[in-house]
Amino acid sequence: MKPIYYPELDETLFRTVLPNGLTVAVVKREGFTKKLAYFVTDFGSIHTDFTLEGQEHHAPAGVAHYLEHKLFDMPGDRDVSAEFAAMGAMTNAFTSYDMTAYYFSCTENFENCLKLLLEFVSTPYFTEESVEKERGIIDQEIGMNEDAPDSVVFEKLMQSLYQTHPIRVPILGTSETIREITPEVLHTCHRAFYTPGNMLLCVIGDVDPEQVTAMAREILGDEKKEVGKKMRPWQEEMTSQRAETQCAMEVAMPMFNLAFKAEPVGSGDEAIRQEMIADLAAEALFGESSELYLRLYEEGLIDSSFGGGFETIDGCAMLMCSGDSNDPAAVREAILSQAEKIAAAGLEESAFLRLKRSALGRRIRGLDSFDATCFRVSAYHFSGFDYFRFPEIYRSIRPAEIREFLSRVVTRRRCALSVVRPIV
Amino acid sequence: MIETITLSPNVTLRCCRDPRFKQGCLSFQLVRPMAAEEAAKNALLPAVLLRGTNAHPNLRAITNRLDELYGAAVSPLVRRVGDYQTVGLFCGFMDDRFALPGDTVLAPMMTFLEELLLDSPLENGGFLPAFVESEKRNLIATIESELNDKRAYAMSKLLKIMCREDTFGLPRLGEKEQVAAIRPKELYDHYRHILRIAPIEIFYVGSAESSTVAALLKPLLSKLDREPVALPAQSGFHPCEGREEVETMEVSQGKLCLGFTTPITNRDKRFPAMQVLNAIYGAGMTSKLFMNVREKLSLCYSVGSGYYGSKGIVTVAAGIDFDKEAETRAEILRQLDACKQGEISMEELTAAKEAILSSLRATHDAPGSIEGFYATAALSGLGMTTAEYMAAVETVTLEQVIAAANTVQLHTTYFLRGGSQ
Repeated sequence: MKPIYYPELDETLFRTVLPNGLTVAVVKREGFTKKLAYFVTDFGSIHTDFTLEGQEHHAPAGVAHYLEHKLFDMPGDRDVSAEFAAMGAMTNAFTSYDMTAYYFSCTENFENCLKLLLEFVSTPYFTEESVEKERGIIDQEIGMNEDAPDSVVFEKLMQSLYQTHPIRVPILGTSETIREITPEVLHTCHRAFYTPGNMLLCVIGDVDPEQVTAMAREILGDEKKEVGKKMRPWQEEMTSQRAETQCAMEVAMPMFNLAFKAEPVGSGDEAIRQEMIADLAAEALFGESSELYLRLYEEGLIDSSFGGGFETIDGCAMLMCSGDSNDPAAVREAILSQAEKIAAAGLEESAFLRLKRSALGRRIRGLDSFDATCFRVSAYHFSGFDYFRFPEIYRSIRPAEIREFLSRVVTRRRCALSVVRPIV
Repeated sequence: MIETITLSPNVTLRCCRDPRFKQGCLSFQLVRPMAAEEAAKNALLPAVLLRGTNAHPNLRAITNRLDELYGAAVSPLVRRVGDYQTVGLFCGFMDDRFALPGDTVLAPMMTFLEELLLDSPLENGGFLPAFVESEKRNLIATIESELNDKRAYAMSKLLKIMCREDTFGLPRLGEKEQVAAIRPKELYDHYRHILRIAPIEIFYVGSAESSTVAALLKPLLSKLDREPVALPAQSGFHPCEGREEVETMEVSQGKLCLGFTTPITNRDKRFPAMQVLNAIYGAGMTSKLFMNVREKLSLCYSVGSGYYGSKGIVTVAAGIDFDKEAETRAEILRQLDACKQGEISMEELTAAKEAILSSLRATHDAPGSIEGFYATAALSGLGMTTAEYMAAVETVTLEQVIAAANTVQLHTTYFLRGGSQ
């Protein structure tokens, strides 16, 4: 395994693909005590429709998250969390729209922790009884989200912005859909997407990359298995389905999410370029150093809760912002007209360079976080990109591209606004 | 590892020199007693300071300056540390080695910090009314938005009820009526006053030597006119009668919060045992609360305990169905009782200790966690480095944990439920 050194970032990355198809990435951090390992599958809440072994499957919404919960069960009443805890390690997992990650962090016993991670994620063990019991817990989690205005405002936004894309459905599914989840459904999804060829093992810390690779081969074997083929019948027009949606909850002040639909970015270098262009465009449009942010802040239309950026998920992308405001519609109007203004006049070269320098500096600072780095390396891997190459991508971006992005995307027909207002 | 330098009486610089990181952090904190008269003013101050300086007169100019400094960030710092409230600014900035050839970040960052702290534009002897009024609105909105996070809201209600005789019951950001009453001149006078008398704690973590940091801070400190006043020592829980309160609101999930007291604070030699008890009882995914209330009985999705070592308070919070209150409460108390009776396995004890040790070991792996630990530890009365703390945790025995459990007493409960009654 040959290391790649990135002098601009002072990072060393080891990467290889095993015979079974698993990609292993090790970010070497000498002199650190903490070790963090992510075992990630390219399978999230939106991937409910797929074919496997020549057969079509349509799983209920919420299956990826349900599976995430149930993988912590092991035969023989073994308690995975307790086993990690006994080694002084912390384990957890999360499910997003397009990936599911299992991870642990430890300071000692790294080898045994890694073994356990690989073992429990690759061992499906579901009984009728345990699957049934989990329903109560997940139902409570769904209830918690229904009371969380930030979840509600986002989910309603997705339902307004998209017509067919499954991002319209909450990651957890609903109380109704999770009722349909059975051990068989979980087994099928596990077989389809938890095969090494669909997964990434990303480790960060002062560890031996050869040892990590050897362990992955030992536990997962060398056999290459079929990966489920995702069906993506999502046809999206570049217009929002509904311009505005509102509801009332126990909140102090109206809370809003505002988004503009963008073309999905696909994968590889060009996709990441698109994403970084969009991020810079967001900064130029409504970032803290923008003319608009200052004006809206001084007028009291936004406060420090305001923020935004570009979001990409398998099959969809959007420029989004959120915050608290007494007049969310006025914020939308201001953003639309400012985008027009920048699209017409362009960006000053000095302002553009300053934005790039700032974005680069913030990404470099972000590398100090093990968790953020592991997450980014994983997410970009599934987009077919080596994350540590971000400086060269930034360098290649020109101001005209920002302008083009804003004029194409930040328009009224691509826009949706979701508001949660206080109960009166 | 941590170098402590007294720059002048009651001005302390603590430095953690560490070349491994890609960024540096520096926090500048004025330390005040937590008090109803000034909590709101202290909470408002950093936000007003960050609105503009004479040279960078608005938010945009400030952010542009930070963008030039490679995306550095300066954020308001308002912390509660036991009986104290700290107020100041937190700077995070890229390490000099990644800057363009010949360029640096740390030195101009310190100059900019001085500008933010000492060069605010003034009008009629006070801060600019426009800045103050708009930050008052923002702070009030922040205080009100606590309602949005029902778990945090319920917990703060519990502490308010339970600590009515204690500074711990005062909200960290003050009350919104107090914020609304603040005048620009009064705020500025208060600021000058605390700049003169408050102990100052500065914490730096990054690649520079402490002498370099001290030298860079000199111009700032030389401009202060100091007459420092030492603070009263931290105190334990101030007792009052316990209560049981229920509040109704439009929510679909109930929040049950229980508040307990213990005489053991982090100034007590039994502190490590109490910390271990909390881990066994309710911190994390292997604790008794998680394993029983959630995993075994499926009563909730979230349940956990917290231990406020600076005060000697243990809290438990659970998100539950409304009709499960009695059952959940009984189980939460039953698990505490199990700890008191010594129903703790060796596995549980080891796992609890390992969890604490592991998080202490990893403290030194991120600039933010180093700052978070050391910039508050000494103030709260915890006079240990992470290494000393770890050594103390390792020697905790089962008997000590049981003894610690037996000091814990239920004081107050608070239940947030749905529907109107």
